[in-house]
Amino acid sequence: MLNQLAALSLPTRSLAEGVQIVTLVILGLMMLGAALGVVLLPSIVYSAFLLGGVFISIAGLYILLNAGFVAAAQVLIYVGAVTVLILFAIMLVNKQQDFAPVANAWIRKGAAALVCLGLFALLSTMIVATPWSLWTGPIAGDNAIVVIGLHFFSDFLLPFELVSVLLLMALIGAIVLARREFLPEDRLVQQQGDAALTLPERPRETAALTGSTTPRP
Amino acid sequence: MDSGIDLQGSFIQALMDLGLPADLAKVIWIPLPMLLIIATATFLALVSTWLERKISAAAQQRVGPEYMGPLGMLVPVADVIKLLIKEDVMPAKTDPWLYTLGPILVFTPVFLSYLIVPFGQHLIITDLGIGIFLWISLSSVVPIGLLMAGYSSNNKYSLLGGLRAAAQSISYEIPLALSVLAIVMMSNSLSTIDIVQQQSGYGILGWNIWRQPVGFVIFWIAALAECERLPFDLPEAEEELVAGYQTEYGAIRFMLFYAGSYVNLILSSLMVAVLYLGGWEFPIPVGVIADWLGISETTPWLQIVTATLGITMTLLKAYFLLFLTILLRWTVPRVRIDQLLDLGWKFLLPVSLVNLLLTAGLKLALPFAFGG
Amino acid sequence: MLKFLKQVTDYLKETRDAAKYIGQGLAVTFDHMQRRPVTVQYPYEKLIPSERFRGRIHFEFDKCISCEVCVRVCPINLPVVDYEYNKETKKKKLNSYSIDFGVCIFCGNCVEYCPTNCLSMTEEYELSTYDRHELNYDSVALGRLPYKVTEDPMVTPLRELAYLPKGTIDPHNLPATARRAGQRPEEILEKMEKEGAGKS
Repeated sequence: MLNQLAALSLPTRSLAEGVQIVTLVILGLMMLGAALGVVLLPSIVYSAFLLGGVFISIAGLYILLNAGFVAAAQVLIYVGAVTVLILFAIMLVNKQQDFAPVANAWIRKGAAALVCLGLFALLSTMIVATPWSLWTGPIAGDNAIVVIGLHFFSDFLLPFELVSVLLLMALIGAIVLARREFLPEDRLVQQQGDAALTLPERPRETAALTGSTTPRP
Repeated sequence: MDSGIDLQGSFIQALMDLGLPADLAKVIWIPLPMLLIIATATFLALVSTWLERKISAAAQQRVGPEYMGPLGMLVPVADVIKLLIKEDVMPAKTDPWLYTLGPILVFTPVFLSYLIVPFGQHLIITDLGIGIFLWISLSSVVPIGLLMAGYSSNNKYSLLGGLRAAAQSISYEIPLALSVLAIVMMSNSLSTIDIVQQQSGYGILGWNIWRQPVGFVIFWIAALAECERLPFDLPEAEEELVAGYQTEYGAIRFMLFYAGSYVNLILSSLMVAVLYLGGWEFPIPVGVIADWLGISETTPWLQIVTATLGITMTLLKAYFLLFLTILLRWTVPRVRIDQLLDLGWKFLLPVSLVNLLLTAGLKLALPFAFGG
Repeated sequence: MLKFLKQVTDYLKETRDAAKYIGQGLAVTFDHMQRRPVTVQYPYEKLIPSERFRGRIHFEFDKCISCEVCVRVCPINLPVVDYEYNKETKKKKLNSYSIDFGVCIFCGNCVEYCPTNCLSMTEEYELSTYDRHELNYDSVALGRLPYKVTEDPMVTPLRELAYLPKGTIDPHNLPATARRAGQRPEEILEKMEKEGAGKS
C-alpha cells in the first residue's frame, strides 16, 4: 500500500520506481529491526538509541511519501527532542545495582508475548478489513505546509487547541516541579538537619508571582 | 538564468549523446552535486581552521603558522594527513558500535544541511520547500551523536561533556528556531531562496538585519552555542573536562568530530548570511548598477559576473561572521553551565518570543515593510 | 506590578551593560590584531643577550691558581678542582677543572669571587643535550668561547626590550644604528665626571 502511494507520488519511471521499492524495503527492515531491538535488547541505553533509529526510519518513510515537512518535524521532535530527553533521563539516573533475575520469568515473558501477538493480530485484521480511501487528488508536495496550516485553523482547530492546552499544562507542571518554593517548610528544615555538609538552597525571589519582600543579598 | 538546471540538462544530454540511456545518465548526474557540496564544505572548513589559527595568532600578537606552504596555508592539509595516518585506537571497555557511530551521527547531519545553502539564485543543491526547517531538524540529531560518543567512551569526562552538549543543544535550539520563525513569517516561506529574495531589491537597506536586529543577535548567540564556540564551549572545556566527549577519540574518528565542528561553524555563518545579511546579494543591487551602466540584465557575461559575485558575497559574509566568532573567542571568557542555561531559558527564550510577537504585529501593521 | 517593571528595567540595563562591555572587549581584541607580532622566531631569530647575562661559564685554564674559592662560594660546591701540590715550587698544579651545568644554577658567585678572573660568564644559553652527563663540562669544554649571535650569518639578531629605542616594542626591521633607550654607560660616566668636576 505504501508502495502504491509512493508510486503515485512521482511520475512513473522504471528506474525511479525500482529505487523506491528498494528504499521502502530497506526502510521497513530498518524500522522493524530497530523496533525489535528496542523491545528485546537488555541494555536500556541501546533501546533508547534504537528508538531514535525507529523514528529516523519513519521519517524516511515520510520522505518516500513526499511528506518532507512531516519528516522534518518527525526528526526534530521525536529524534531531536524525545529521544535525547529519554537518553538524558537514562544517563542521569543513578543506577544502583543490577536487577536480580526474577524467578519464573518465562511465565511473564510468555504472557507478554501472548498479549503482543493478540494486539498484533487485532491491528492487522483491522488494517486489512478497513476499506482505506486512497487519496487520488494532486499531491501537495512542497505545498504541504500551507495545506497543513489551513487544516489546523479550520477543521482540526479543536484538536490543535487541545494539544496546545496540553502542552501548556505540561509546561506549568514542569515549572511547578522545578520551583523550590513549593517545598513544604518542614521538609526543608528537615533536609537541612539531615545533611549538615550540604548548603541549604536559598528560595529564589520572584517579584511578579509572590511579591515577597526578602532583600537579596 | 537557469544556470543550475541548464548544467544538469546539458550534462545529461552530453552523456546521452555518448550513447548512454537517459536513466543511466541521470543516475550518473545525481551524485555529482553532492560530491561537489561535500568537497566545498570540506574546503571551507579547512580554510576556516587556517583562518582560526592565523586570526588567533594575530589577536595574541603571534605569527601563527608560517612555514607550511605560503603563510602556513598547508597546515590544514597536514592536519588531515596526520589524522588519517594515525593509528586508530579504541580505549579499553568502550562500546565499539556506539563509539564508531557517534562521530558519524555528528558529522552526517551537518553535511546534509549543506543541501539547502544557496550560493546564488540557482546555485543550490535542492530548493526544498521545507528549506531552513531541514537545517533545524537535522541539527537536532547532532546531540544524539554527542551523547553516544560520551556514553560509549567509558570515561566520566566524556559522559559529562556529552550530557552538557546535549543539554546545551536542546536549550539553544528553541531560541534559534523562534528567531528563524520570525524571518520565515516575514518571507512567507521556509525556502532559503525565497528568504533571500525577500531581502533583495533595496541592496543593503533591504537586509533582514535592519528589520530583525534582536532576532539577529539571538540567532547569532544561539548559533554560537549550537556550534560550541567559545563563550559556550562547555562541552569541551579543556580546564574542566579535558576535551569533553572527544577525550577518548583519535585519528579518523576525531577528525570527523573536528571537521564536523568547523563545517557546522561555517554552516551557521552561512545561515546567518542567508537569513539576515541578504545571502548572495551585493550591498548595491546588481540590477541597479547594470541599469546605471546601461547593460541589459540578460547579457550572458553579466549573468556570469552576477553568479560569481553571488558566491563571493555569500562566502565573504560567512567569513566575516567567522572572523567575529574568532575575535569573540579571544575576548569573552567561558560561561558557567548554570549561566548558560539561565541565558538560554530565561533571557533568549522570552526575548525571542517577544520578538516573534512583535514581528507578527509589525507584519499586520506595516505589511509593505515586513512582508504582508 | 511596579516592582516587576523595575525588575524588567534593571534586567534590560544589565543586558545593555553586558553588551557594552563585550563590545569594548571586542574593540581591544581588534586593536591587538593591528599590532605587529612580538614573536622571536627562535632558531632563525635570536635575542641579543644583555650585557650582564649569566650564561654558561667560561674558564681559562692557565689563569687558575687552584685556590678553590669557587668551590667554597658555590651554594652546592659544584666546581671540581683537581690539583697536585708541587712541593719543589710550593705551588698547586691544576690537573683538571669541571662544572656540571646540569646542576649549576648560574648564580655567578664563582665568577664574582674568582681572584684571578679566570671564570667569566658567557652569553651562551643553548645547553640542551640528549644526555645529562654531556652537560658536565671539563676544562676544555669550559674554555670554548660561544658563537656570538650577532656574528652568526644564519641568525637574525634581535635586541631585547631594554635595548630598544624609546617607544619601540618590536625589534624587527629596526636599523642597526638605532639608539637604545636612555644613556649608554660611557655617557653616564662622562656626565658623572663632568658633574664631579663641577662640584670640586
